[in-house]
Amino acid sequence: MEILSAQNVTFSYPDATESVLDDIHFTIQEGDFVLLCGPSGSGKSTLLRLLKEEIAPHGNLGGNIYYRGSMIKEQDRFLLAKEIGMVFQDPENQIVMERVMDELLFGMENMGYTTDKMRKKVAEMVHFFGLNDLVNKKTAELSGGQKQLINLASVLLLEPKLLLLDEPTAQLDPIAAKEFIHLLERLNDEFGITILVVEHRMEELFSVANRVMLLDKGHLVVDQSPRKAAHQMYPEFQSFLPSTALCYMGISQQATKPDQIPLTVKEAKQWISTQELKQPTQGHGTIVEKSPLIELKAIDFQYTKHSTPVLYNLSFSINKGEWMALVGANGTGKTTLLKLIGGLIKPQHGTMKYNGKKVKNIDPQQIGYLPQNPRIFFLHDTLKEEYQEIARKHQKREEEVQSLLEIFQLADLLDRHPYDLSGGELQKAALVGILLGNPSILLIDEPTKGMDPSFKKEFGLLVQGLVEEGLTVIMVTHDIEFAASYATRCSMLFQGDITVTEPTKQFFQENTYYTTMMNRITRDFHTPALVTLEEAMLLSPNHIGS
Amino acid sequence: MIRGFRSFHPILLLLYYIFVITSFMLYQHPFFLLAGICLVLMINLILDGGEQLKKWMWMLIGMSSLILILTPLFNRRGNHILFYLFENQVTLESIIQGIMIAATLVGILATFLTFNLILTADKFLFLFARGFPQWAILIMISMRFVPLLIRRLKDIEQVQQLKGLSIKQGSVKRRAHNGMLFIQILLTSSLEESIQTADSIAARGYGLRKRSKYHPYTMKGTDWTVLTAMIVLFSLLVFGWWLGDGVLLLQPILESVWLSGREWFYFSIWLALIGIPMVTEGKEVLKWKYYLHKM
Repeated sequence: MEILSAQNVTFSYPDATESVLDDIHFTIQEGDFVLLCGPSGSGKSTLLRLLKEEIAPHGNLGGNIYYRGSMIKEQDRFLLAKEIGMVFQDPENQIVMERVMDELLFGMENMGYTTDKMRKKVAEMVHFFGLNDLVNKKTAELSGGQKQLINLASVLLLEPKLLLLDEPTAQLDPIAAKEFIHLLERLNDEFGITILVVEHRMEELFSVANRVMLLDKGHLVVDQSPRKAAHQMYPEFQSFLPSTALCYMGISQQATKPDQIPLTVKEAKQWISTQELKQPTQGHGTIVEKSPLIELKAIDFQYTKHSTPVLYNLSFSINKGEWMALVGANGTGKTTLLKLIGGLIKPQHGTMKYNGKKVKNIDPQQIGYLPQNPRIFFLHDTLKEEYQEIARKHQKREEEVQSLLEIFQLADLLDRHPYDLSGGELQKAALVGILLGNPSILLIDEPTKGMDPSFKKEFGLLVQGLVEEGLTVIMVTHDIEFAASYATRCSMLFQGDITVTEPTKQFFQENTYYTTMMNRITRDFHTPALVTLEEAMLLSPNHIGS
Repeated sequence: MIRGFRSFHPILLLLYYIFVITSFMLYQHPFFLLAGICLVLMINLILDGGEQLKKWMWMLIGMSSLILILTPLFNRRGNHILFYLFENQVTLESIIQGIMIAATLVGILATFLTFNLILTADKFLFLFARGFPQWAILIMISMRFVPLLIRRLKDIEQVQQLKGLSIKQGSVKRRAHNGMLFIQILLTSSLEESIQTADSIAARGYGLRKRSKYHPYTMKGTDWTVLTAMIVLFSLLVFGWWLGDGVLLLQPILESVWLSGREWFYFSIWLALIGIPMVTEGKEVLKWKYYLHKM
């Protein structure tokens, strides 16, 4: 049965000449799990919001949206609020209450439920989600993944028939994101809740969804089952495909059949075992031993006297011109280490050497820090003012600013308010501001959170360029694929200490679980196994050269 | 101690505090007041091992000694002149008066020390929400914001510090300027973020219907018993006060401080009312002692 449909939907914001959505046409059946993807600015979020009456953006809406057979505008708003639930991107900002219990109750109180009914429903939900330990906590104490779980639970308590999710896992670490997606799968499988999710995390969702839609510049370009969609999206929108599918497409090049496209690692492994591939050419990555730029020794750090130490007896060194990725689970002290190198916090024990000399902290002039939330980097109303201010401070000439802007392709955005930029643009803009200070060390905290895949690549290449020019980069990340593609070395933090530091390729080759999709697919067939997609492409029998 | 004093319905707890504090103000009799203080201090000890009391002890001692010294100096009325200080008479009545004022204040303050332990913020809000539901939700939402804004400000400080703007270094003017800038970013970024919060509130149907309120507390059997007991005890106390039994007469003739006749009856009522938490909490303590002993 049809639950939601859009007919000739067009939409433009007031005073805008171009329309955000153009002639959108689709029907969603009850029980569908639909993945909606597309580059940032393609109108995904706008479309999602139009489906939710209470938060629909203002503007000129053409065409009709139907929910259960009748127009959405003509339906009882109360019923719509209850039956169409929505979860947003930022786990933190969606939370309204101080305590988890109040947060769970918030929606139900709005609906005017009685205490007995609420009590019953909360009990049920806490049981289903396994939230027992969280109910009596304060919301601020929860991790991002737990917060998002509470947000989902709070919406589900209203018993929605249709669940809209706007990049729900963009801010989560990979483990929490996977758990969240599995939960969605369960809701879809076990309760038949219809799900429409906008997301950049394709690796997991392609195999879970039963339909994939792709929006590009306001047009609905693809609306197919996942395999057919993958076939249709290659090569134009290939950055939105999971690496399993890309591996298949890349290697078999001409003879691709939609129904053969593997969507899980298991399928990809089965397929690749039937293929005859070239032996990988052994690239001897010559790593020149350079003198270490920063050395940390026996560092201890704890936030308060009685809390457990975040860093304990940690030793760490980084060479000049390296791009070091710090990986590890939540709460292992990655960000703390970054702040410590930046001199924002002081260790209780241990020594730090910079350029071979023992120092209390590194000269802040030498350090650039790109925080997780780059918004708070900006002090002024436009990028232009911001850059002028920084340039004046560091006595930079106008031309230097201009050349940086050109490299980063930000010239068009100069008059924008920083908060009007997309997540990726904001990262780039902040990076330009940092580079104007001529740092020799760049500290980056989770840069790829919420970035769309094509932007990720652009950002990666930009930073790679800087590294080649001699900048030293230390990056904290959860994004394994990103680290594998760009970092030169990887370090893994565990219980406040670095357990291993190895060149990226070796690092991921040796890991079994904490590794890239490509490595998981190919690890049983090649020695040494492959890490990135680019390497896999070279193996294709059809590949020319090398 | 799930069945202790803290487990009672918040309304009961609030009534207890109203009753006890009113009684402290009505019964101006050193005998009553000092006995009352002893009980309240013991309640403090039972509830949190005297943690709160330790924090406030010097304040209590300082304040009461100040009153004890100052009252006789300024109040010279009375028939029993003890001695002369700087040619001013110091009377027994004024000393007793000082003791009573100090004891009243100490008693009320010590009672308030337990208030935070017993009527925690959520219980208080629950009581408040009945009368002012709109305000209550506003308060609940803003309660989340205070720690949130502090955390954000700290983030801003750190990021800007590495950009070269600091509130810890430089001239006072420079620091103040930077501080204002930080507050400005804090406000603009928080406004921006709260738009998302507003969306999430709207998306969950806020304002479409009259809101209901979840009532986490119900009146249990013991609640009714204790409520009745409390009202009866307090009514008796008010009656006794009206008869003049719990008030020490200073003028025109000083009454004997020692209790007599009916006063002993009201004294026991007084102890019973203030001691309610001791009975309920003490019962729990004994229960556990006994329970562990049996195991």
